[in-house]
Amino acid sequence: MQGILIIVILLAVAALGIYFTTPTPPPATTTALTTALTTAPKFKDTLIVGTTDSVQSSIDPSDAYDFFAWGVIQSLGSPLIDIVPGSAAGPKDLAPALAESWSVSSDGLAWTFNLRQGVKFSDGGEFTAEDVKYSFERGMKIANPDGAFVGIGYDSIIGSIDVVSKYQVRFNLKYSNAFFGQLMAAAPSYIVNPRYAPMQYFRINYTEGNARASSPMDLGPYVLTSWTRVGGKDQEMKWEANPNYWNAAAGIPRTKHIVMRFYSDATALALATEAGEVDLAYRQLAPVDIQRFQQKPELKVWKGAGPGIRYLVFQHSIKPLDDPRVRRAIAAAIDRKPMTDVVLLGQATPLYSMIPNGMAYHSDVFKKLGDANYDLAKSLLAEVGYSESKKLTLDLWYESSGHYQSSPEIANVMKSSLEKTGVIQVNLHGVDWPTYRNNLRAESMALFVMGWYPDYVDSDNYLFPFVHSSGGSWLHYNYKNPEMDSLVEQQRAVSDPVKRAELMTSIQDLMTEDAPLVPLFQSFEWAVSNPNVDGVVLDVSMIFRYYLPFAKEQ
Amino acid sequence: MTLRSYVIGRVLLTIPMILLLLTLVFVIVRILPGDPVLVHFEKQATPAMIEEMRRQLGLNKPLEQQYVDYLLGLLHGDLGRSMADFSSVSQQIFTAFPATLELSIYSMTIAVLLGVFLGARASRSYNSVEDHSIRIFGIASYAIPVFFLGMVFQLIFAIDLHLFPTGGRVSLGMIPLGLSIGGFHLSTGLYTVDSLLEGNLAKFLGAFHYLFLPSLTLGIVLSGIFVRLTRSNMIETLRLDFVTAARARGLSERAVLYGYALRNAFLPILTMMGLQFAALLAGAILTETTFSWPGLGRYLVDRIAFRDYTAIQGAIVFFGLLVALVSLVVDILYAYFDPRIRF
Repeated sequence: MQGILIIVILLAVAALGIYFTTPTPPPATTTALTTALTTAPKFKDTLIVGTTDSVQSSIDPSDAYDFFAWGVIQSLGSPLIDIVPGSAAGPKDLAPALAESWSVSSDGLAWTFNLRQGVKFSDGGEFTAEDVKYSFERGMKIANPDGAFVGIGYDSIIGSIDVVSKYQVRFNLKYSNAFFGQLMAAAPSYIVNPRYAPMQYFRINYTEGNARASSPMDLGPYVLTSWTRVGGKDQEMKWEANPNYWNAAAGIPRTKHIVMRFYSDATALALATEAGEVDLAYRQLAPVDIQRFQQKPELKVWKGAGPGIRYLVFQHSIKPLDDPRVRRAIAAAIDRKPMTDVVLLGQATPLYSMIPNGMAYHSDVFKKLGDANYDLAKSLLAEVGYSESKKLTLDLWYESSGHYQSSPEIANVMKSSLEKTGVIQVNLHGVDWPTYRNNLRAESMALFVMGWYPDYVDSDNYLFPFVHSSGGSWLHYNYKNPEMDSLVEQQRAVSDPVKRAELMTSIQDLMTEDAPLVPLFQSFEWAVSNPNVDGVVLDVSMIFRYYLPFAKEQ
Repeated sequence: MTLRSYVIGRVLLTIPMILLLLTLVFVIVRILPGDPVLVHFEKQATPAMIEEMRRQLGLNKPLEQQYVDYLLGLLHGDLGRSMADFSSVSQQIFTAFPATLELSIYSMTIAVLLGVFLGARASRSYNSVEDHSIRIFGIASYAIPVFFLGMVFQLIFAIDLHLFPTGGRVSLGMIPLGLSIGGFHLSTGLYTVDSLLEGNLAKFLGAFHYLFLPSLTLGIVLSGIFVRLTRSNMIETLRLDFVTAARARGLSERAVLYGYALRNAFLPILTMMGLQFAALLAGAILTETTFSWPGLGRYLVDRIAFRDYTAIQGAIVFFGLLVALVSLVVDILYAYFDPRIRF
């Protein structure tokens, strides 16, 4: 009797399985949705994107300061200027968006934008110069201490904004600014719809069951049609092509509907990708999964130069790290190859400047000190008085709670290459991210590893926040070199690209002399998709252009 | 002692227990190294910005004041505002809890059914191969970490067989609406219940489809203790005189086993269900992470990384109150069923 019962239960489970698998082959959800929504026969109407990210607090430019929220803002809104997809984000890589053209005064202090005419908000209102003024003034006036307007310091750059005419707006800057164009392409600079972004609110919050009230954005390639958050984390999000989009005639966006699915961690996302539950997986996949997917013909792996870098910081107030010779010795002894090839399985590339590869003004200056250059390290340390009998003992700290990928392994590689000099001994200390932040502020860590994603895609954002004494104060590492400060300030203000390139060379050269910190590696950006997905662009701009990918019908 | 005075005494005892829990949680999150304000600013932050944030979060007040504010807030049912995104913690907990509750109900059902069924079978075939196999299953399921079993199930049922999704709670647009009659609206947040209230079978099957693997995983892991408990209780009960008497009357073995012995061995199993409630919530935390299940466990894990004091306090206090409440109910029920406990 019991035997029969077991058989019945097994049959029931199998029947349930058959119910869910028949008749559509995997990916079941995709096919079902597409069938329901199909109008064009050639491309699929819906792309399901999987991610481990989630909007941290809101999708309001006055507040949002996280990777995913910026991606949403950049899909639901439009900037005045955009960065050309796949470019190096240099001065020539800026493309018109809501501004058809722009001009800069000879002193570099006034930027005048000529706006596109006849662009409509979703509520039918026309986009004008007033909306531009409103968007920026709102962000600066709210001055959310948690948001990017304060973080980047917009009010230290923008003096005032004048509406010249209905379709012309002028920004009067406090100082001539070489990267203002790139700043205009950053997510906080996206234009909001004033009717949905009242000035009196600190930020527009997620409102359950009301997508329109949850977003101040408009004018972008997509419109937010549904958004569900549970316990402060995204559960489901759907975007639909914006019929009023100014660039719709160019066939943008290429996919009508984007559905976001949210996974708890890299393993869950990798499993879902493998099971065909998502068309495209973007952030975060573990190196080992990416490597596995590269060998699978049923998946397509996308790779691009990423803007994310990892670097080593010296606490200059801890002796003997105040001596540039010691810092240079450490920089020379570090071996980057095992980090990128062994630990990160080839999914990052060694970095020899704070400015990442693929970005304007990058130069491989740290190659002068070399990789695993033990002879140089030993001779520099000998000058300071260290030898095999009198070793330099260093405390190397790393973050161990997964805030940065593979940090413990990276720290181990660093320890082993530094110890190979024979004159350095390294003690490793791993602590979780909140403790790490505390220690950073307490200036108690001698050597520590940090990561960086830019706020705006310009080389300046890899220099000013690090080697300038006031810009880098958040790192609490006590580096101050008046010559460096002056060079960094000059490159920020100069409008001539040739002059700026010269300054950039001097800064990077001085960086190898001083070695205030050491660039380690730059991660590639990765995405994994079904083989029928095309058009994914991953570049140094940090903008994931959700409006470009499309999937061919299978 | 009357049942009434027992209940009153038991309820009064719960109050210092909860107060102790609140104080411990309050102190522990503050002893942990790491400052929520610093975690908040991933990038540049000036001292002025940090001070401003500290003021907004009330962290500039003396610790005693924070503690009093926290207790006063709790009296009003206010768990405070999240330190990561300034949203109301009570609201976040109430949106996340139904997912955990639903997972718990189904897991506990699976655990009890599976555990009692296998335990009863083992006791009947005492010391046979079947008995040993079931005992090994009991030990193994108790020893296997829930995330490991979860991943094995994901690999088999989701990736190889494509029978179930790897994670998530519902497919797009399939969130059930609950019951709506005119202006009256009722939704429980339990998707399997809401879909039935809405009268939408497709949504019910959809919700069940997503629920199956996580609840099976957690159910199997929790079933081990029920296997062992049922087996040992049944073996003892089967030796008692009334069982021999029942057999002597010529009742079928099945009737003896399930109608007589199991009914008598069931009381300790009920107790264990109450005791296992805390283990169930702990297991739910790991299951939710493995299956991207948007419940309270995942919420807690997320918030620890942010040192979101208010959210961590809120979630733990909520869990604590729940466990205290369940054990209170179990004790009262017990006192009701078994008067010996009252004396």
